[in-house]
Amino acid sequence: MTAGTAARARDHTLGEGVTSVSALRSFIGKRRRRSWIDLYSLGFGLVVAGIYLADILASPLHRLSSQAARAAATHAAALQAVTGAGLVIGAGAGLLLLAQALGPLVLSPADSSWLLLTPLSRRGILRRPALGAAVAATLAGALLGVLALAMAGPYLRPAGGSLPASWLALSAVAGAGCSLAAVAAEALAQPTERARSWVRVCCGFLAVIALAGALAAQEWTAITRAVTAVFAGLSTTDFTTAAIAAAAVACLAWLLLWRAMASFPAAALRAGSARSGRALLAAGVLNFSLLFWIAEDNHWRGRLLRSRPWPELSPAMTLAWADWRRIRRRPGPLAVITVASVFPALLGAAFTGRAHGILIAAGLVAGAMAAGLQGTTGARRDMDSAVLRRLLGVEPARVLAARTVLPALLCTAWLAIALTVLSAVGALGGWQWPLLCLAGPGVAAGVLRLARTAPVDPSDRGPDLPMGNTPPWMISRIISVAVAAIGSYPLLAAVAHGHAGAGRVVAQPLVSAVVLGVYLMIAGGTGR
Amino acid sequence: MRGVKAAYGSVVVLEDIDLTVSAGEVVALTGVNGVGKSTLLSCLAGFLSPAEGTVNVLGGPPRDNAAFWRAVAVVADQPTWYPGLTARELLELVRMTHRPLTGWCLPPDDLIEIFGLTARADASPLSLSSGQRQRLSLAAALARPSRLLLLDEPEQSLDADFRQELAVLLGEEYVSNGGTVVMATHDHEFAVAAGARIMLLSDGRAVEPDDFEADDDEYAEYDEGRDATLSTEYDDARGEDPDDDLAGSPEAPDPARQDR
Repeated sequence: MTAGTAARARDHTLGEGVTSVSALRSFIGKRRRRSWIDLYSLGFGLVVAGIYLADILASPLHRLSSQAARAAATHAAALQAVTGAGLVIGAGAGLLLLAQALGPLVLSPADSSWLLLTPLSRRGILRRPALGAAVAATLAGALLGVLALAMAGPYLRPAGGSLPASWLALSAVAGAGCSLAAVAAEALAQPTERARSWVRVCCGFLAVIALAGALAAQEWTAITRAVTAVFAGLSTTDFTTAAIAAAAVACLAWLLLWRAMASFPAAALRAGSARSGRALLAAGVLNFSLLFWIAEDNHWRGRLLRSRPWPELSPAMTLAWADWRRIRRRPGPLAVITVASVFPALLGAAFTGRAHGILIAAGLVAGAMAAGLQGTTGARRDMDSAVLRRLLGVEPARVLAARTVLPALLCTAWLAIALTVLSAVGALGGWQWPLLCLAGPGVAAGVLRLARTAPVDPSDRGPDLPMGNTPPWMISRIISVAVAAIGSYPLLAAVAHGHAGAGRVVAQPLVSAVVLGVYLMIAGGTGR
Repeated sequence: MRGVKAAYGSVVVLEDIDLTVSAGEVVALTGVNGVGKSTLLSCLAGFLSPAEGTVNVLGGPPRDNAAFWRAVAVVADQPTWYPGLTARELLELVRMTHRPLTGWCLPPDDLIEIFGLTARADASPLSLSSGQRQRLSLAAALARPSRLLLLDEPEQSLDADFRQELAVLLGEEYVSNGGTVVMATHDHEFAVAAGARIMLLSDGRAVEPDDFEADDDEYAEYDEGRDATLSTEYDDARGEDPDDDLAGSPEAPDPARQDR
């Protein structure tokens, strides 16, 4: 090969100048073979998401109508306005945290591999992702701006009596400007870990203040009076000033970012692209194992642990104890999820109508599942590994049963807190609601099933359903969520209807026990 | 690289590392898993700033600008591929990203032949085997001119025969055309075949011959191949003539180890 290579080796001094990034993207784009099914799936997904979003937004946007103004005098309406405003601010802070977790300036993994470490203009490479971030920030910010106006809706006092369209437009501009400025600031902070930490702290602080204020308003009417008084005092001048100021700050922030993009560090972009690429893939295919792995890897990299002795327990319980130890070593996520138990109450206060019960129920199941998943690391790690089974020499059914205890306790405890808060703030009337926390074991069955779901096999093709080809791994994950919903059905039905009768309270532990028992019987061997 | 200390949080990975690499030299970083080989490459590429010490690459600290990436090629981990682009198109893309091509490099057709990808040249990299994908990654690094090649375990997934061919390609063709190679590797034979000066890392430190106690077969192998080439501090005077440097390196694998 050597001689041949020597003959072929040549000194290239080609006449062409530096290739532009747009020419390269055109080169790549022309060769990408997109199937119409991809576009159909994307379009179908967007339409379905739009329908659901419109349904959820119909309730808050109704507050901009003249009918809503008539109910403004009631304490419930004032409470709803304050809680809703708190949720909008909290949602904004949450979106900023999500944007930071993803980048916010992020290249696709392939671009990161082949375009980043080249002589190409760094700004040229980043132009497209920056544009994408700007569009997303504008849309999200405008929506939050309109929602914030909707929360204030019944208390606004426009000169003509009816809400002028200019207020709506100015709110959208103000929201978009704030969002754009915040995203640009996050991007500027992206290369420095300390700056990233500060952004996280600021967003977290903002979210806590907003949500704590919303929660406090449930008890102290002085807060609702003060906030609604502010809403009532707003004028066109205020909206115009806010919109102009937000737009000016956004322009300045993006100008600074544009300048910084010319020398944006490759290391930060590589790290962000790898992280977001894995996270988006994991989220896209509901691969919770991978999402957990990413979070664990980010946390433990750079930390030293102290080895501890194993406890004197039965072999199955000893294996399960590893999950208890992990939670003790890293209680932060569980603490955050515990604090998040106020969310169903806030959702209940902010939304009325048909969305009220559905959102509370969805919040309860999602929160309980998130809490339960904190205790499934072991089940997720060695699920169905024949090698590990031989190595451990423990009956799989016993191990699974032992590993059920922690998630069941976590789900039950989280539901107990969330239902108590819901009862305390009056979103659910009646003393018996906390008893429905016994849905926890039923939810734990779905949680364990989700944790033990086999890794994604992209080559695995499934049936062609109306929304396109649906691979088995996706169906399996949807079934896991369905198992959790079935296990907590009496609770969900009670919340959706706003009535917890004695029958549902009695039925819930029975349903939980049956669902969990059946799951353990089926999955105790090698099943899912 | 002088007195370099690198850490991830509180975990110190490299400690007091000195390394001087002359132009036209091949240096192989060896050592057990987790010893800091990839971290050292990250410092050279500028992905990781050392907590202490200084790193100079091609006359200055890693700069992360067009001139630096025109001169430095990195094959660090399995890249992500563009869906729809064939292996040949990917090599063409790499050449387009580095225009104007001033310096030694190989055209896509030649690379495809040398790297044994002729039958799969028009296939998507996603459909290639892991070994073929590794070949394509390495081919991409030679599709554009560079002065310094940073390779993280280039031998992974490659068959034994092609490892030897790659070693010759790097140690003779690339280096004789003005290139310098720093690579992390677990394959001692590959390193020796590439004419590499071997730098052994242990517990994040460069191990001097007298400090190192060979207590198992793997370490003994490193010890065997080390002889005059293992040096954590390269003599600058030797670096003036790359041919002299190469002459001091073992150019062929140890026959005893070929029998293994």
